[in-house]
Amino acid sequence: MTGTSTAVSSDHNQILPLASSNAERSTAHQAVTAIVALIESAVKNKDARLLAGRLNRLISAVRAQLTPQILSQFFASSLKGEEANSTRSFLVGLVVNTSTNVMQVEGMEHVDTDLGVHSGSHTLPEIEMVAFLLALTYFIDQEKFQQAKSIADAAVTRMSAFNRRTLDTIAAKIYYFLSLSAEGLGTLDSIRGTLLGLHCTAVLRHDSVGQEMLMNLLLRNYLHYNLYDQAEKFRSKAQKSDVFKSYQQYCRYLYFVGRIRTIQLEYTDAKESLQQAVRKAPTSALGFRVAASKWLILVRLLLGEVPDRQEFTAPGLHKALQPYLELTQAVRSGDLVAFDKVAKVYNTKFRDDHTNNLITRLHHNVLRTGLRRITLAYSRISLADVATKLHLNSAEDAECIVAKAIRDGGIDAVINHELGFLASKEVSDVYSTGEPQAAFHARIAFCLDLHNEAVKSMRYEPDAHKKLQQWSRKERISPEELAKAIADDDEEEY
Amino acid sequence: MSVSVMSGATGLLSLLSEPCQNDELKCHALVNINKVVDEYWFQISGSIASVEALYEDDEFSHRELAALVASKVFYHLGELDDALNYALGAGSLFNVNEESEFVNTLVSRCLDRYFELRVKEIEEKQEVDIDPRLTSVVERMINRCCEQGQFEQAVGVALEARRLDKLEEVIAQSADSVKTIKYSLAVCQKLIINRGFRQQVLRLLIRLYEGVPSPDYIDVCQCLMFLDDDKEVATILNKLLRGSKDDVALAYQVCFDLVENEMQSFLIKVQQHLDVLMPTPASATPTPLAPSVQTEGDVEMEQSDSAPPAASEASPLLAASNDTDANVLAQLGKAKDILSGKVPIGLYLDFMYRNNHADLLVLKGIKTAVESRNSVTHSATILANAYMHAGTTVDTFLRENLEWLSKATNWSKFSATAGLGVIHRGHLQQGQALMAPYLPRNGASGSPYSEGGALYALGLIYANHGHDVRSFLLNSLRNTSNEIIQHGACLGLGLASLGTEDAEIAEDIKNVLYSDSAVAGEAAGIGMGLLLAGSASEKAQELLSYAHETQHEKIIRGIVVGLAIIMYGREEGADTLIEQMIRDQDPIIRYGGMYVIGMAYRGTGNNGAVQQLLHFAVSDVSDDVRRAATLCLGFVLMNSPEQCPKIVSLLSESFNSHVRYGAAMAVGLACAGTGLKDAVSLLEPMLSDPTDFVRQGALIATALVMVQQPETRLGPLRKRIDKMIKDKHEEVMCKMGAIMAAGIIDAGGRNVTIGLRSQSGYFRRTSVVALAVFTQHWYWYPLTYFLSLAMQPTALIGLTDNLQMPTFQVECTCKPSIFAYPSPINVEKKEEASKVPTAVLSTTAKAKERAKKKEAEKKGTVKLEGDKMETDEKAAPASASTAGGEEGKEPGNAGGVEAAAAVTKEADVTGPYTLDNPTRVVPSQAKFIRFKAASRWTPIKSKVSSGILVMKDSSPDMAVDLVSPQVAAAAPAAVPAPTVPAPVRPPAQPVTQTEEPPPPEPFEYTP
Repeated sequence: MTGTSTAVSSDHNQILPLASSNAERSTAHQAVTAIVALIESAVKNKDARLLAGRLNRLISAVRAQLTPQILSQFFASSLKGEEANSTRSFLVGLVVNTSTNVMQVEGMEHVDTDLGVHSGSHTLPEIEMVAFLLALTYFIDQEKFQQAKSIADAAVTRMSAFNRRTLDTIAAKIYYFLSLSAEGLGTLDSIRGTLLGLHCTAVLRHDSVGQEMLMNLLLRNYLHYNLYDQAEKFRSKAQKSDVFKSYQQYCRYLYFVGRIRTIQLEYTDAKESLQQAVRKAPTSALGFRVAASKWLILVRLLLGEVPDRQEFTAPGLHKALQPYLELTQAVRSGDLVAFDKVAKVYNTKFRDDHTNNLITRLHHNVLRTGLRRITLAYSRISLADVATKLHLNSAEDAECIVAKAIRDGGIDAVINHELGFLASKEVSDVYSTGEPQAAFHARIAFCLDLHNEAVKSMRYEPDAHKKLQQWSRKERISPEELAKAIADDDEEEY
Repeated sequence: MSVSVMSGATGLLSLLSEPCQNDELKCHALVNINKVVDEYWFQISGSIASVEALYEDDEFSHRELAALVASKVFYHLGELDDALNYALGAGSLFNVNEESEFVNTLVSRCLDRYFELRVKEIEEKQEVDIDPRLTSVVERMINRCCEQGQFEQAVGVALEARRLDKLEEVIAQSADSVKTIKYSLAVCQKLIINRGFRQQVLRLLIRLYEGVPSPDYIDVCQCLMFLDDDKEVATILNKLLRGSKDDVALAYQVCFDLVENEMQSFLIKVQQHLDVLMPTPASATPTPLAPSVQTEGDVEMEQSDSAPPAASEASPLLAASNDTDANVLAQLGKAKDILSGKVPIGLYLDFMYRNNHADLLVLKGIKTAVESRNSVTHSATILANAYMHAGTTVDTFLRENLEWLSKATNWSKFSATAGLGVIHRGHLQQGQALMAPYLPRNGASGSPYSEGGALYALGLIYANHGHDVRSFLLNSLRNTSNEIIQHGACLGLGLASLGTEDAEIAEDIKNVLYSDSAVAGEAAGIGMGLLLAGSASEKAQELLSYAHETQHEKIIRGIVVGLAIIMYGREEGADTLIEQMIRDQDPIIRYGGMYVIGMAYRGTGNNGAVQQLLHFAVSDVSDDVRRAATLCLGFVLMNSPEQCPKIVSLLSESFNSHVRYGAAMAVGLACAGTGLKDAVSLLEPMLSDPTDFVRQGALIATALVMVQQPETRLGPLRKRIDKMIKDKHEEVMCKMGAIMAAGIIDAGGRNVTIGLRSQSGYFRRTSVVALAVFTQHWYWYPLTYFLSLAMQPTALIGLTDNLQMPTFQVECTCKPSIFAYPSPINVEKKEEASKVPTAVLSTTAKAKERAKKKEAEKKGTVKLEGDKMETDEKAAPASASTAGGEEGKEPGNAGGVEAAAAVTKEADVTGPYTLDNPTRVVPSQAKFIRFKAASRWTPIKSKVSSGILVMKDSSPDMAVDLVSPQVAAAAPAAVPAPTVPAPVRPPAQPVTQTEEPPPPEPFEYTP
């Protein structure tokens, strides 16, 4: 692309930056080589678990340092053989087109020259896919979704040629980026068919990692277009294992299930799912925790509960949850005016969060909360006063709302129609009922459940017990050896 | 359609439930649903009932389409069986040739279901009705495979479906039918579990083979042997023997291969049929030896002294005026010699003697380390010597240590005498003469122990080829009432007439058994089993009922082990007996039941058998039964050594030491001679097990696995064994195990492996049976000697079509050091480390070191063991033993260096090197062996590079250069030379010193 003379001169001009970038490049290069080595050993041992954990860590470590230069160097050095040829030229081509820096191009030309050296041997499909994956991460990080999408498409097509379990984790990542790039382009619905097909294949091949990932991507896809009904149908009909292989995917799944349940008015189930999703989510997944917390707060409000203030002020969440904090305060106080104000002020925000229909549902809850406060405060109050306190138009409206609240069990009171007042029932002593016991039992059950789950989710190394055995064997032998040593001494004496 | 795509399939689905009578609307809906089903199946699944209803509706015009849609939905829902049913209902719309996941999945499901039903129908004889549509799909698949030239897949499908008719069709259609038949044969042997069906397939394949212009007679005959069809084999051999020179050579090769499988009774029958088929009366056996004696060299010479018919040949020779007839007869004679085992055994004996690399210093080390007062370690040392020299006819060690040897008394003496049989194993010509000093004679009363042992030894020498000694052994059994002699005689008879089902012998052994003497009865039980090996004879029930009657545990154990051997390889045929035995109250009979399972399902990997054994291994109340169950897993899994360590790995960590022992032995048996890494790493921790007998088992098993492995791997094991032997505080059991292990890893002069299979991949019955009896050493030490029968020389021996050994070389394409014999240097070092050398030894060592320095100077810094070093090595132990020291060494060196000059140059580089004709080829080495392209000699049988190979001569007119006259002269003359005086003079003395009168001069024994 460029003449050698310019390349040389640029070399001279940029000695200092080159030196520093060289150091960076070498660490990145080491990281990339480590990835290749890891894959090779994992494939040799057919160990998919190694790939799942370590590979992710290695990739995320190298992610920030990726440059077109490093990428193309990696493609050139690791993609060898006839089969990988087309992949290499495709990827190198894309990377070269995006880089404009002269120096980088120079580096690439250098790379092109040693292509010939490596051709001939064979490349593992896993390495080929990791090459795709690295290119994808690079473009996604650069927010070049168009290129990312084309790479992801090419990767998926190429993947269909293989059926290897060691590919599963890498494939799942590629699916994820495919969906992400489509979302960036705003064409999420166009890949739905592809994802469904891939999901079907994953189920048939018992590829649980890919299956979980694709299920979540599809749910996200449906929910993105508010297709809650389809999402629920797909979720319930699709085959899935009882236990999720990947913890992260399980969190996501719980989150989506929570959202579906919320829309379907099954608030208790929804709360359970969302709560678990928030609890199980790793601390580093801030965005996810924010999104799930928002839904959880709304669901709890809809259930008539009031979340603690601490939940809003957790580190990192504070700013994002500010609108919801204000909303909660309005609901808590049963103040319709404040509620309407909050809803109006943060209208766009709620729409972005896909939560504005829930906010509408909350309106009713605000009234009920206000009503409850009133019944607690007054043993007897006229309906007209209720109407003014709740900013309702008339006493008749108030009567209707109160009647409904009584029927739903929201408040414990009686309406006196002739005199037009509301009389609260006497609060009985809770401790004389079985309620405390039930509450106590619920907590114990929860703790036990938690303990059992923790035990279940513990994983031991396949031959962890061997070390223990060896150790105990040593213990066992040592007294014998002692005895032997003593015997030896004895013999010497005689 | 964009609307329907946007809103999902709900609109289309509502069309289906339209009450209108018009099919068109519903048809339109179905067509469109079929298009979008992959994207909206979860929506459609809600109203699948209406689609199903359409399919059920006979009036509906597009029922097949409805079926297809339903099938796709069920497929997505994961209900593959329902999906398959509807797909079959879809008829032609379900396109088998379509390349989609849906079709592929359903087709494979379809095949699975069909196979399952067919197996039920054919093997379990159940009434099943198979959907004809299912059958047609399967047949379409087979046809498609054939059209695309994937005949191997087609064969696989046909076999899985138990469709012999289809198999025949496929083979007829295939482009290269011989290749396809070969493939079918291999599959049939390895993968078909049901014995009955396997035999049907074999019959079919043989029939097809005969239709081919140039069938592979070697394969055919192997098959026929498997089917026990002796007549057909004889006919084929007869045809070949009358053919061209190449055909004759092929016939010889077939014979050699048949012999390798060691089915004595079958071979005898083949010989008889050959006699019948030949023109002249069989009684005359006109083998015109006159012309052949001069040309046949060492092989014939070796036999000539023992071949009694030779004398009677002269006159019929004159009668056979026709020259070609005479030739044919000569060839027949040779073929029969091969079949009777004379030629191959002779060849191997010669090879073993020639290449003996047993290191006497190892034995000396053991001998000095163990206390001779302790009879267990003492007899273990004698045993180790027997193993190390098994089949080599070298008994130098015994001769040198007569006084030490004489410490063996009672049963130890029995064992020691039997050890002589192991050393002289296969010495068919001289065997009886060799043992004569110890054998019972009329009038002279020797020690019953040595007499019994001698009879046992005779059995070991003539194992599987016992017609010469049959009558002698039988007489010995009849003439004695001493239970020790009876014991030896029963074992000897059983071994000599292994699997012959000789009624006369059976009667005599039964008499011994019913005399209800514990010692003799045990041997009688085993002997009976050996005699009827693999026959599944009705006598089994009789024996079992006697086992219930008798009070003696030894007899019961003998009988049940015998039963196991009787059921060898019968698979399903043994199920009734197994069922009877494993439900028995008596633990010893259950113990035998385990062995019956192991033997009957040997090397089949049969799931049922493995499950049963695993069940007993963990749940039986008796330790013995659990141990046997675990151990027998090894027998069942022999065909896939790599599986065995995985399966027993949990058992090897059992809290029960008996189960651990069993697991160790199972791995040892199944992986014998393979050197598998998995096996070794499983056994490794067991070498330091807290229980002594587990350590013993682990030692023996490790030795079995590691035999003939490269020295780099063996080295650490040797050190470990050495340490255990020399450790004063080691338990006796472990010491015994270590000594045995030392014997096993250097077995047969380092020229044998534990050969469970013949070249052709079939199991060698003698080996497997011998291993089963060997494992009984837990109860009875003399049975350890049975292991020698499982030892198979690892040799490459090339022969001309005259059965002579020509000189030629083969190439081995790897570093010479990998497969070289271990050098004796290690041993010397070991000796220094252990600080045991006597005055004589140390001087010898020094002398040797000096000699070595000289040698090293001559050679420069070359440090490798090529052919040349072998010569040196041979010289080394010899010189050490004769105490000649330097004098003995010098000539050896001089010759060696000169001969090796060429080799050293080659060996310097890591590349390929050459080996001279009779050479050791370790199993793992076989794949590196190449026959030189331009060589004069090429093997008749392709793709095989060890064992006895008959070679084709590309220039038959040239003079044949036979294996170097010096060695060759030594071999035929020398084989008897060192051995004949050996037993008669010195080894006789150990026993003589105490009891025996001085032995007479060597003579031919005529009972």
